[in-house]
Amino acid sequence: MDWQAFWLTTRLAVLVAALLLLLGLPIAYWIAYSRWRWKFLAEAVVALPIVLPPTVLGFYVLLALGSRSPLGRAWQSLTGHTLAFTFGGLVIGSIIYSLPFAVQPFAASFALVDARLISASATLGASRLKTFFRVIIPLSLPGLITGVALSFAHTLGEFGVVLMVGGNIPGITRTVSIDIYDQVQALNYASANQTALVLLGISFAVLSLVYGVNRKVGAAWPWK
Amino acid sequence: MSEVERWFKSFRSRQTRTKRTNTGNSFNNSASQNVLTVQFRKRFPRTGRDFTLDITSAIAPGITIIFGPSGAGKTTLLDCVAGLTTPDSGKVVIGDRVLFDHARAISLPVQNRKVGYVFQDLALFPHLTVGNNVEYGLAGISGSERRKKSDAVLESFRIPHLRNRKPKEISGGERQRVALARALVTDPCVLMLDEPLAALDAATKSKIMDDLRAWNAAHGIPILYVTHNREEVFALGDRVLVVENGRIIADGTPH
Repeated sequence: MDWQAFWLTTRLAVLVAALLLLLGLPIAYWIAYSRWRWKFLAEAVVALPIVLPPTVLGFYVLLALGSRSPLGRAWQSLTGHTLAFTFGGLVIGSIIYSLPFAVQPFAASFALVDARLISASATLGASRLKTFFRVIIPLSLPGLITGVALSFAHTLGEFGVVLMVGGNIPGITRTVSIDIYDQVQALNYASANQTALVLLGISFAVLSLVYGVNRKVGAAWPWK
Repeated sequence: MSEVERWFKSFRSRQTRTKRTNTGNSFNNSASQNVLTVQFRKRFPRTGRDFTLDITSAIAPGITIIFGPSGAGKTTLLDCVAGLTTPDSGKVVIGDRVLFDHARAISLPVQNRKVGYVFQDLALFPHLTVGNNVEYGLAGISGSERRKKSDAVLESFRIPHLRNRKPKEISGGERQRVALARALVTDPCVLMLDEPLAALDAATKSKIMDDLRAWNAAHGIPILYVTHNREEVFALGDRVLVVENGRIIADGTPH
């Protein structure tokens, strides 16, 4: 059992889920409430990681972070190295990979908030920001919890993107899923099974906890 | 002649009317402190037949009923005054405050119009207690001041005992009172009610309207009360505007 890989994977998943909560909320707000006629194109871009092969996504992220891209060169001039094959690079790759798993539940929840409640908030003098935090967010809790949980669980199990961007460096970019792959390649099925079962157990526990909590939070407009 | 017009013919209709407001100004003087002047058009393209809302009226303090069948444009009228819908042309003025003036490119955001709006389904925030619902619009004042104001308005609608309950835990009549209290505690310049008492029995309606009239006697603002219920017109209104197909087709006093 490679506990270093577990610790690394957990750190990655927690960080990505937290960052996706921050990044995903404004994107989801825009998707839910914008009336731009080309919005569907932006929605397609956000949803791309669901259908794109992870190795394809990983490849393009690697190129973007590497020393041949403007982004990679800029980072290199600031820090002396690129983000490729670093934990930071994994975080960026994972954020892109798990983006739709956060944004889509957030946006769906926002869109379900009764529009008259938002209108009522405005007629009572509340700014859009106040309406967002005092009406939309509290009434979207199930969707927010789902989005955070899915992005956490999805990051836990990442393989293709992590392998392309991270490169399997022990203690830095070797996540649990890559460790399982290594064990299988080395024919250590017992060790691979042990690791896989623990990952399965953690994933199931996280999801069960989240959906159980989700049930108690309840519907937004129950007495109409 | 439509059914609505035939029904309204039974009223005595007065084309012009002078009424003393609380400030002592004449009804027809739109510079008066509390008179709501509306004059706007809004077109809604629809398959089959376009719908145009074309409204011109001066509304003094007191209860003005907006009566008409479903689809006449009553709710849209309220939405235009509140700023939730923007007319294509015209203006909306309350006293000397311009809320909307298309010619001068003025359109105050909803948040800044100081209108009280009780929606058809009340739109109480289900996740907040009655107390927090009522205090929602009280911003920029201290907690104790907020508490004092909300206590006063809950008392005036006889529901102080409901402060810590959630909307789903109270009755329909009580929710109506909370919605009224929430709209009025912010001292709006105009109050708009969209079929607020539709689901209630006559006795409850009557009590709520008594409380509202008592409140308005002290505050004196225009109250627009939308209904398609004829009994409410007779029971409640100082004045009634009949709206059909987006236009005011009659204006007078019920008796």
